[in-house]
Amino acid sequence: MEVTFLIVISALVQLIAAFFALRLIKATGLSRAWVLIAAALCVMALRRFLAIEMVSLWLFGVAPAPGLLDETLVLATSLLMLAGVLSISPLFFTIKQAAEVLQRSKDELEMLVRQRTEELREANARLAVELDERRQAEYRLAQYAEELKRSNAELEQFAYVASHDLQEPLRMVASFTQLLAKRYRGKLDQDADEFINFAVDGANRMQALINDLLAFSRVATRGQPFTPTDCNAVFDQALANLTAALEENQAVVTHDPLPTVEADGRQLVQLFQNLIGNALKFRGLDPPRVHLWAEPRDRDWVFAVSDNGIGIPKEHQERIFTIFQRLHRRSDFPGTGLGLALCKKIVERHGGRIWVESELGQGSTFYFTIPRREGTEHGEPTELQDH
Amino acid sequence: MVNRLNCKTIEILLVEDNPGDVRLTKEALKEGKVKNKLYVAEDGEDALAFLRRQGRYAQAPRPDLILLDLNLPKKTGREVLEEIKDDPDLKRIPVVILTVSKDEQDILKSYNLHANCYITKPVDLEKFIEVVKSIEDFWLTVVMLPPR
Repeated sequence: MEVTFLIVISALVQLIAAFFALRLIKATGLSRAWVLIAAALCVMALRRFLAIEMVSLWLFGVAPAPGLLDETLVLATSLLMLAGVLSISPLFFTIKQAAEVLQRSKDELEMLVRQRTEELREANARLAVELDERRQAEYRLAQYAEELKRSNAELEQFAYVASHDLQEPLRMVASFTQLLAKRYRGKLDQDADEFINFAVDGANRMQALINDLLAFSRVATRGQPFTPTDCNAVFDQALANLTAALEENQAVVTHDPLPTVEADGRQLVQLFQNLIGNALKFRGLDPPRVHLWAEPRDRDWVFAVSDNGIGIPKEHQERIFTIFQRLHRRSDFPGTGLGLALCKKIVERHGGRIWVESELGQGSTFYFTIPRREGTEHGEPTELQDH
Repeated sequence: MVNRLNCKTIEILLVEDNPGDVRLTKEALKEGKVKNKLYVAEDGEDALAFLRRQGRYAQAPRPDLILLDLNLPKKTGREVLEEIKDDPDLKRIPVVILTVSKDEQDILKSYNLHANCYITKPVDLEKFIEVVKSIEDFWLTVVMLPPR
C-alpha cells in the first residue's frame, strides 16, 4: 500500500513537471523541445501508473511485471528526453552567441570611449595650440602697435627737426638772393632781374611750406595736455588774430553760445582761426558772413562753421583735408595747402573728426566733433593764453 | 654813464658759426647809424676765450653788446650764456639771443638764464636788416648801458 502511494506521488510530480515544461513554450519560444520533454515526463508518469497492481489488473488483467512494455516505455522516455534536450541546445547556443555579441559590443563601446577620449585629448591639445597662437598673435599685434607708435613719433620728430634745420640754409638762399636783388636790380640785364625774382619767390614759398610743416608736426610734438576750455574765449582769440583779414574783407562773423570742452586751447584757437580764415579767403562777391554754432550729438559736441563763400565741388570734399592739396591756382588763392590738413590733425588729436558739406557757389559748412567728457560742461574753464 | 653815440666806436661781439649769417649781420650793421666794430667768434669756446681775454684774445676789447646764436659747435649758445651770466665780471654785458629757433623751450630757457632779450632771425632780408638795426638802435642808443 505505501509503495502504491509513493508511486502515485512520483507520477503526479512528473505530470506537474510536464505541465511546467509546456508552460515554458511561450516564454522561450522553443515549443518542440518543451513538448518533447513534457511528453517524456508524461510517459514516465504513465509508467508509474502501470506499475500499480490495481491499475495493471484493471487494464490488462495481469499483475504488473517488468517486461517488454516497461522497457519500451523507458526507451521511449529516454528518446523523448534526448530529443527534448537536443531541441533545447540551440537556446544555449543562442545564449552563448548573445553573450559574445554582448562582449563584442562592450569591447566596441570601450574602444569607442577610448577613441573619443583620445579625440578629446587631441582637440584639447589643438585648442591649447590655438590659444597659444592667438596669444602670440595678440602679443605681435601689441608689438606692432608699439612699433607703429614709435615710428610715428619718430616721423613727427623727424618732420620737426627736418623743417627746423631746413630753415637755416633756406634763410641763406632767401637772404642772399634778396641782397642780390637789392644791390643789383636794374644794374644787370632784364633776364638777371627775372631770374632773381624767381629765386626770391621760390625761397619765400619754400619758407611758407617749411613754416606750415613745422606747425603741422608741432600739433603732435608740442601739443599741450587737455584742460577744460571755453570755446567762446577760443572764438574771441581766433577773431582777434584775424583782425586784419576781417577788416580787409568787411566780414561779419557771429556765433551762438559755445560749450566748454576738454581740449588744448591753443590748438583750438588755431583750428577756429584756420576755418574762419578759410571762409574769408574763399569768399564770393558778397562780403563774407560766417556763423559758428555747436550742439551736443551722442557723445560729441558737433561744431559747425558755415559761410557764404564760393563752396567746394562734391568730388573734392575729401581731398581738401590732405596735406599740401590745393584746389586753386596759386595766383587765385595763395597758400601752401596745409590749413585744412592741420585742422584735421588737431581735430583727430582731440579724438574727433572733421568734414564739410558744401555746394559750388552755395557756401560751405565745415563740421568737426570734440568728444564730450563727464563734468567738463560745467567745469571751470582755464584762462586762454594769448599768443 | 657814457653816451656812446658821441663817444668812440661801439664794440659788438657776434657769436655765430654760419659765415652767411656773419656777412648778413655785417651788411645790416653797415646801414646802421652807429659807428661800430664787429668781432666774430665762431664757436662757444672761442666766444668765452674772447671775453676772458685768453690765448690769442689777450688784447681783445670788452664788447658793449653780445649777439649770441644758440646752435653753436663745441659749446652751445645756452652754455655760453650761462657762463657769461655766472661770471661777475661779464654778467653786466647785455646779451641778445639771435637765433632761428622759435621753440618755446629755447625762449624760456634763455630768459631763465638771464638773456637780455631773445630775437628770432627773420628769413626775409629786409626784415633781418630791420631787426639788426633795431637791436643797434635800442641797445646802443636808447638804452643806458653800464660803464665798461
